[in-house]
Amino acid sequence: MFVDLQVGDLTEPLTGRSWKSQEAMAQIFQRVELYGNQGIRRSDRVFLFNGNNLEFFADLLALWYVGACAVPIDGRLTPFEIENLIKTVRPRFAFVDSTLDSATMTALLVHGVSPLDIRAHHRDGVRSSKNYAPGEEARLDDEALMLFTSGSTGTPKGVVHTYRSLRARWMALRQCLGVESYHRTLCLLPTHFGHGLICNSLFPWLSDQHLFIAPPFSTDILMQLGRLIDEHEISFLSSVPSMWALALKMSKPPQANTLRRIHCGSAPLSAYLWRQIQDWAGIKEVYNAYGITETGSWVAGTTVGEFEPEDGLVGLPWGAVIKILRSAETVALFDNNAPCRADEIGYVWINTPALMQGYFNQPELTDQAVSSGWFLTGDMGLIDERGWFYLKGREREEINKGGTKIYPTDVDAVVEKFEYAQSVCTFAIADPLYGQNVAMAVVLKRQDAQAIQALHRWMKEHLADFKMPQRWYVVDSLPQNSRGKISRQSVQEMCAGLPPLDLPALLRSPS
Amino acid sequence: MDREQKKNELIGFLRTIQRPDYPDNEIDEDSSLIESGLIDSLALLQIVTYLEQAYDIDFREIGIDPGELRSVGSILNLIARELKS
Repeated sequence: MFVDLQVGDLTEPLTGRSWKSQEAMAQIFQRVELYGNQGIRRSDRVFLFNGNNLEFFADLLALWYVGACAVPIDGRLTPFEIENLIKTVRPRFAFVDSTLDSATMTALLVHGVSPLDIRAHHRDGVRSSKNYAPGEEARLDDEALMLFTSGSTGTPKGVVHTYRSLRARWMALRQCLGVESYHRTLCLLPTHFGHGLICNSLFPWLSDQHLFIAPPFSTDILMQLGRLIDEHEISFLSSVPSMWALALKMSKPPQANTLRRIHCGSAPLSAYLWRQIQDWAGIKEVYNAYGITETGSWVAGTTVGEFEPEDGLVGLPWGAVIKILRSAETVALFDNNAPCRADEIGYVWINTPALMQGYFNQPELTDQAVSSGWFLTGDMGLIDERGWFYLKGREREEINKGGTKIYPTDVDAVVEKFEYAQSVCTFAIADPLYGQNVAMAVVLKRQDAQAIQALHRWMKEHLADFKMPQRWYVVDSLPQNSRGKISRQSVQEMCAGLPPLDLPALLRSPS
Repeated sequence: MDREQKKNELIGFLRTIQRPDYPDNEIDEDSSLIESGLIDSLALLQIVTYLEQAYDIDFREIGIDPGELRSVGSILNLIARELKS
């Protein structure tokens, strides 16, 4: 099913390591042989811990060759969160190296997962072939890729893509975008992330284009982005608004005029920042790319010909049909009165052959989101008279911290287990750099410094750093709605009028 | 303003952006701000903004070598160089 996809060259611009496409194929086939000998078979789920390097891509394609399902893991998660994923997914294998912490390794072994370190099994002299075709074992509708978007502390939400949905995404992008502008693509985004993996990396690389893969979230790279683009003659990169805010402030613009196209996505792109990116890059082809992990990432963007940056403007669908309906209820799909008029804001529904298979082991959740092939995105939007799609807000309960989605329930789930916690509510606050950041209001049975310090330690142990609330409010009670449920919006409004805890001072006071 | 005054002002600023759980240790001139755990890497943006505002340095004009923001000492050297030019 991937027979018309060809791997391109791969380079790590920071280390200088590089594989031509034939070497990449040789590496893939080494791994196919090795992993077959280790017992990896079709439909096995395999955790991949180390992304954003040459080996990750060889591992990924080798797994697909044998028909297995790849599960890239966010390296920033705590051992507690990773163990939760292990218990949910029950992978048979995990690809590791010497940097894996001992707590995570113990969790793997305790749960019967076999760790494999490719470097310990390196062998030379295998066949190579530029054309990639998965083995006969894989079936089009088998699980190919699982990406976790939330729930690492509670019930993990894993988006499952099949070989069919991934191929559909790449074929649609080829048709809508062409490949010429992507001939030297730089990826600064993490490979455990749909945007970074499926679209920024695999779309060009499996179209025989040269992929330059760099460590994610690196301020060193952003400070020198212009120089990096010039040095490697980069024609395309994609990123998120907060990374652009950093690069624009800290990096000299590129001078060599190699850039052909830029995408920016995963978080709202203001018209102001959009124009700044165009000025810095020296090109007008900067597209606001709208995508969701469930749709295989990029599903619409600003391929509209001449345009001026506007707040909310996305553009035209890429391998999808977008409907704006007045309701988020599935019956709206069959109601002739449900479609919004031009310029009327409503709920965004998407139909695409690149739609996920579903949420791993959560059929009810899948049914809430997908009906008759239509996916309810949780976003609000409109389509104007020209047929151009605009995003107008979000109904989903998530905090978008610079493109990284943080789910309040993940933070709440950890705090609720703390011995002195009575109730908690995590919510979004505005942030000048990230767009949004994390805040928390908590009711504690003990409100002294020692209890708060203990809560901080508890949260650091159980939550990835990027999920830690930046602002804390210790309150006596949390507002509830008429059904006795804590209302996040009411908590947000209540806290807007309160002074936050001076957490740094409190953490430094004697315990 | 001499170097010692600039250093005190810089450290005063760093205290306002340091990680909440960083201990109240003295910040010396040579320790890495990130590796020591004082700040995370994204706080470098706040340092850049501080230098722009306090010393009128335009980093888009001069570019940034990541090493120049590595420590209190390297930042003071950067300030001295840019003020001279």
